[in-house]
Amino acid sequence: MKASSILLQSELLPEALDISFKVGPALLVIGMLGLFLTIGFVFRVADTEDMWVAGRSIGNVENGMAIGANWMSAASYLGMAASIALAGFYGLVYVVGWTTGYFILLIFLAAQLRRFGKYTAPDFVGDRFNSDTARAIAAVTTFLIGFVYAIGQAKGMALVGLYIFGNYGGLIPGLDGYQVMVVAMMVVTVGYLTLSGMLGATKNQAVQYVILILAFVVGLFVVGYTNGYSTVLPQLEYGMLISELGSEFSEPFASSSYYLWVATTFSLIVGTCGLPHVLVRFYTVESERTARWSTVWGLFFICILYWSAPAFAAFGTDLYSQTVSPTYGDPGMTSAASEVIVVLAAQLSGLPDWFVGIVAAGGIAAAIATVAGLFIAGSSAISHDIYTNIINEDATQRQQILVGRLSIVALGALTTLAALNPASSIAALVGYAFSLAGSVLFPMFFLGMWWENANRQGALAGMTTGLTLWSLPMINQIVPTYIGSLEAPLSTGLATWMPAIGSALITLPVVFVVTIAVSMATDEPSLETKRIVRQCHSPEPMGQQETAEDVVAADGGEDVATDGGRAVDDAAAEGDRAVDDAAADESRAVDDATTEEER
Amino acid sequence: MTDNSSRSSDDAATDGGVATGAAQKHSDTDYLGAEVNILNPSTPYMRDHLRIVWSGFAVWVLAVWGPVTLTRLAPGPMTNQMPILGFPLHYFLVAFGAPTSALILAFWYSRKRDALDEKYGIEHGTADVATDGGADE
Repeated sequence: MKASSILLQSELLPEALDISFKVGPALLVIGMLGLFLTIGFVFRVADTEDMWVAGRSIGNVENGMAIGANWMSAASYLGMAASIALAGFYGLVYVVGWTTGYFILLIFLAAQLRRFGKYTAPDFVGDRFNSDTARAIAAVTTFLIGFVYAIGQAKGMALVGLYIFGNYGGLIPGLDGYQVMVVAMMVVTVGYLTLSGMLGATKNQAVQYVILILAFVVGLFVVGYTNGYSTVLPQLEYGMLISELGSEFSEPFASSSYYLWVATTFSLIVGTCGLPHVLVRFYTVESERTARWSTVWGLFFICILYWSAPAFAAFGTDLYSQTVSPTYGDPGMTSAASEVIVVLAAQLSGLPDWFVGIVAAGGIAAAIATVAGLFIAGSSAISHDIYTNIINEDATQRQQILVGRLSIVALGALTTLAALNPASSIAALVGYAFSLAGSVLFPMFFLGMWWENANRQGALAGMTTGLTLWSLPMINQIVPTYIGSLEAPLSTGLATWMPAIGSALITLPVVFVVTIAVSMATDEPSLETKRIVRQCHSPEPMGQQETAEDVVAADGGEDVATDGGRAVDDAAAEGDRAVDDAAADESRAVDDATTEEER
Repeated sequence: MTDNSSRSSDDAATDGGVATGAAQKHSDTDYLGAEVNILNPSTPYMRDHLRIVWSGFAVWVLAVWGPVTLTRLAPGPMTNQMPILGFPLHYFLVAFGAPTSALILAFWYSRKRDALDEKYGIEHGTADVATDGGADE
């Protein structure tokens, strides 16, 4: 990030978008952020237990909404319609990948993760494979995912911010209007996040879901109705419009191969099942049954947006072709304009500023909600998994929260720098994070949960392989765009067969084979670990605050005997909690106090 | 939840009269002693559960990659315009069919899981039932 000459290359000003300061929409956004901060303040948190899992007091529908808000990022709200408009049939990979993955998550992981009962993805990996190194790799992966994913969100926020707040290019020397907006929006997001932990964020996320789904769906209805495209069900009525949009909109495999289509969907699906900020939602519910049903609700809430996005893309494409210039052909719609097609569609329909502002504000809400989830997962990886578990085991509450907040600021700064001159479209940037989650974390969750003999050596070998393989196409295709002298991709062959956005199709089977082979060649995990895995699959209901480890520790004489020794390791606090819990649930308050002191 | 170590004997006592075959098997099973391997389920419950999981998975694979593969193999018929809706068939199956299938499958699976719990005489906590009451369609 050295010379300003690199920064100035960005030409991300969407043509046709009305870029100027607008009072109504600006007030909407400010009011919305104010509302978030107020809720964040009311539900502010002081201790880490609350911060990470919001006290496990969240029910089906609310958790479903939080899943929805966490999920529906700028990539869903803006990027998906953009890809559908520009890439046609290939753009639908996002619609498929980002919804159907939830079924796999549901049948293979949701309830089991709740039973395992750990706070974060790295916690799972570290405790399941009894390895601080594995925990550290998972934590670094979580941090990386948060970073890569958030780049796309920052791009989305900034593009929409241009419509609402106008062009302040040059206000910060060397930065154009888009880049100034990136900096401004990220400062707001980080400021908001450092003030509120997850309890606030979860309450917020239900509110944010409602705001953004209303903004999107009402926007779609009004655009469809005023232009005569649709009446009551635009999600199905846009079908009649498709034949008028030009063959590029729906022709299969016009802009991409069948292989790329399958590889991308595969990657997005397994990524869905490995994303830490999604998985953390399953620790926040009171029982495994709630975990299951809130997944169903979450998927339903997500589908409302995903059924609507292609319709928005179709309307936007038609409006753009009619009022600006042909969408396809030369020059066609620029990628910057396509990224805001949702806002453009409302603007080109001649709707009043305040109404377009609602649609735009929804885009910002989508981005902030997701960045909230991502940065919390990323910062907890640093403060909880690396700092407290590995660097400073005696860390106090205050130290942990401080480290957590510092890592949020660091994530914010990194994301801002990378988003100043982004390498790809919003949806694709987010897709790279999915490849990473699918390559490194999903295989660990899947094998760790469904094969008790998966062991530490296997996990370490598997995760290292996954990280390495994921970075190959990233270095091939993405890194060169940040280095002026290099042309992306470095190797076309690699880009064709192992595309960055679909790399998990290759990496996942390799990681599975490596993990299984190494696990079989080395010693089996301890009986206690196996019993914890078994407890995750037992149909026996578990208490609200109970983890599989607690049950295993309380069950059978042999474990009680070894309990004394267990309390010495990094699970000391949790070990105590297990015993306390099993002994008497009523003494929870006392128990909590102990836990907090020791954490 | 206070006393897991004596679980099996307790359950046997309470279930005694009403237990169905499955519930009896459930109370006889030592879940912490049964190996977990997705390819080789070791308890009756997991066998039943995995049967549901794999059936759902098979349908899911068809819903996700079936239409696109058919489109690759037979682009002509797959891109025909649908009556009434006006979509090209492949577009509809992918853009609307796949997400909707996943949602229906998810609902189906959760219902099946609840039924399975019932079959095995497993009751989730009362607090749980209360929150689900309104939520469960």
